Amino acid sequence: MFYLGLIWEYFTNYVKTRLTYRADFWVEVISDLLFQATNLIFIFVVFAHTETLGGFTEAEVVFVYGYFMVPYGLYSCFINLWNFGDRYIVKGEMDRILTRPAHSLFQIFLENLDPPSLIGSVIGIIIMIWSGGQLGLEMEWWYIPALIIMTIGSTLIYAGIYIILTSVSFYSDSPTGIIPLMVNIQTYGRYPITIYNRAIQIILTWVLPFAFVGIYPAALFLQREEMMAMAWLTPVMGLLFFSVSLLLWNSGVKRYRGAGS
Amino acid sequence: MQAIEVQDLRKTFRIQQSRGGLKGALQDLFAREYHEVAAVNDISFTIPQGEICGYIGENGAGKSTTIKMLTGILVPTSGHIQVNGYVPYQEREKFVQGIGVVFGQRSQLWWDIGVIESFQLLRKVYQVSEADYKKRLDELVERLQLQELLSRPVRKLSLGQRMRCELVAALLHNPSIVFLDEPTIGLDIVVKSEIREFLKDLNRTQGTTILLTTHDLQDIEALCSRVIMLDAGSIIYDGGLNELKTRWGRGRELRFQFGGAVKAEQLNGWTMGLPVTWTQESDLVATALVPADMAVSDVFSRILSQAEVTDVQISETSTDEIVRQIYSSGSAEKPEVKLHV
Amino acid sequence: MSSLYLDFIRIRFLTMLAYRVNYYSGILVYTLNIGVYYFTWQAIYGGKEQLAGFTAAQMTTYVAVSWMARAFYFNNLDREIATEIRDGTIAIQFIRPYNYLLVKMMQGFGEGIFRFTMFMIPGMIIAVLLFPVQLPTSPVSWIGFLVMLFFSFLINSQINILIGLMAFFIENNDGLMRMKRVVVDLFSGLLIPISFFPGWLTGIMNFLPFQAITYLPGSVFTGRVQGTGILEVLGIQVIWFLILLVPIYFTWRAARVRLFVQGG
Repeated sequence: MFYLGLIWEYFTNYVKTRLTYRADFWVEVISDLLFQATNLIFIFVVFAHTETLGGFTEAEVVFVYGYFMVPYGLYSCFINLWNFGDRYIVKGEMDRILTRPAHSLFQIFLENLDPPSLIGSVIGIIIMIWSGGQLGLEMEWWYIPALIIMTIGSTLIYAGIYIILTSVSFYSDSPTGIIPLMVNIQTYGRYPITIYNRAIQIILTWVLPFAFVGIYPAALFLQREEMMAMAWLTPVMGLLFFSVSLLLWNSGVKRYRGAGS
Repeated sequence: MQAIEVQDLRKTFRIQQSRGGLKGALQDLFAREYHEVAAVNDISFTIPQGEICGYIGENGAGKSTTIKMLTGILVPTSGHIQVNGYVPYQEREKFVQGIGVVFGQRSQLWWDIGVIESFQLLRKVYQVSEADYKKRLDELVERLQLQELLSRPVRKLSLGQRMRCELVAALLHNPSIVFLDEPTIGLDIVVKSEIREFLKDLNRTQGTTILLTTHDLQDIEALCSRVIMLDAGSIIYDGGLNELKTRWGRGRELRFQFGGAVKAEQLNGWTMGLPVTWTQESDLVATALVPADMAVSDVFSRILSQAEVTDVQISETSTDEIVRQIYSSGSAEKPEVKLHV
Repeated sequence: MSSLYLDFIRIRFLTMLAYRVNYYSGILVYTLNIGVYYFTWQAIYGGKEQLAGFTAAQMTTYVAVSWMARAFYFNNLDREIATEIRDGTIAIQFIRPYNYLLVKMMQGFGEGIFRFTMFMIPGMIIAVLLFPVQLPTSPVSWIGFLVMLFFSFLINSQINILIGLMAFFIENNDGLMRMKRVVVDLFSGLLIPISFFPGWLTGIMNFLPFQAITYLPGSVFTGRVQGTGILEVLGIQVIWFLILLVPIYFTWRAARVRLFVQGG
């Protein structure tokens, strides 16, 4: 309850800050959407040259992309760690965080709330409905609860991966950390994973499991039998990765408190 | 109960040793060399509740490291700390409820929104009840005269205004111990003295224990009954400010201006039998150094009865000077003061 | 004076060496990137000999060289500049006796030298070992490619500087920077060679500077452009380099006015 109250409090502060910079708000929303649009362009261009990709049609791949946008939007809104190394380690704001009575990671989430990202989630749902219509998918009653469970699972995986990578900042000496390197990798889970060789499949499933934020859970709605088992693993992997990431974060903070900055 | 208890506290850092040049940097990429530095070296002290204690030392002496350990940010390498009944680094979230921290060089307020919004948020973070918050805020705002500033965003405040708001932010949850790291840095004289007055008041009315680090010794003189002096990670002095002065001060200096030329022998003759040393600037001006345990009036009466004096100035060794001396000698043991005549 | 600027190159090179975690993860991540795109294109070709003027073999080489070129020309000048503008340290840069933008360029170049020797060359060796990459045989292609690679760096850095300077005019340009990164990766031909785009989009691409960053040098390396053709594509790069100086000059001037009038 305490933490829920804080979310609301920080959210209202976010709104107040944003109202002072209205133009920025729209620049941010539009650049976010263009960011998504360029990814869609890749799909469209590729399918101008081939009928299917790893047995998936264009509409199916677009559907997977639509699914991806939903957890991605949630993740970007609540877990925005983009500036962590720079702001909290190099500039020393971590010290301030540690003098406050709430979990450090949670405070950092709250200080970086980014509600406009949720627009991406909405557009993702629209894309799913549209491409689902093209595929002739029938809406079934279990789609909505399944979508909620899968979205939570995927968001937790995404959060887990990025918290783990951010925890590296506690050990690394570089201000930017290694998150920028991941920008491209996160897109790879959105394509039919079977086109890659074994090693890359293993990486995208178990090491940097971006496939659980894309192809696997989306396959459930596309009713792809071959990936059904993986789809249902999504919430399990989500809990697992998120828990591991919290452990790593806590040990990173411990190290920070041992070594200082 | 003691507010702060520190026993054999030690903090060592592992510092990467860079091998210079391109070749060295390439070697560092594959294998690194480290060496250990003790930033805080087995220090012990206790601070009773309700005391204002100054924590001073040169840059890099280990002040900030100590403060960070006392506030639970850093975990000590070894030794024992107890603050407010807690071991700071163990139950961090519970512990920090009872302390307030101000880092003079870093803001804890949100940059873009009104000051009052930051306070509201901190109220939630520290789970202060609405009634307590209102009462406390009113008091603080009244005392520090912040009424007009509350709705302004922090980025529009002057440094002095901001620092007053930082103090409020650190005190909203009514902490019983307050840590201030350079609270007056960069402020003008007026704001400095306002803040000193405020802290004194806070200590007197609420019994708040205050530990502050500073480079401005006037802060110490105005506020602290007790000083802990740190050098290269070790405590070199811990005790009252007055004691420091008597132990280190060279007594008082009487600077006489004479109506006619005087000679050194005459000066020494006048104070024959008294432990006074003379320094002569010119025929007409000479300074007598009077030890702290001797009455100045004795010297006065002797001189005035024997020489024509046009002007006299009395001065005491300033704290600044004392501290400078201690640092340059590297120890707080009373040195052999050699005086030249 | 010029030795001062050389020093900025040297210092940045040494700084980059200090970031060990970034170095090791960088090598792994770039190898993974090449791998993923290699297999994606294999799937897209699906046994077809040729698509949009690229043979399957040329595509493999193109993927490897594009990613390795990116490993070289990539830098964070936009973020660095934006951060310095936002936290106000840029004001100090104005009172120093050097040209701020030139210093940034030099720092970028120091990083580039690091990336070339420590990322690109070892990365290329790994890529050649793992995937069927065909290196050019003619020395002219090699020389042409290396010269063009340098211009890739210049043009990419110019774009970064422009985006970074936008922080003077937009309070929060994080979104803009993120978008730029995606746009450059896509429209430079890194993710898809320009000739794969539909005709109208290729037409637009030809009037944008992005293709000069990856697509043109990549075409030389794969041997799709040879002989005097190399001079032609190099010419396009030089022209873009010169054209981009204009908006940088005006943005910089407007930024200074803004800084002096409004105090940042």
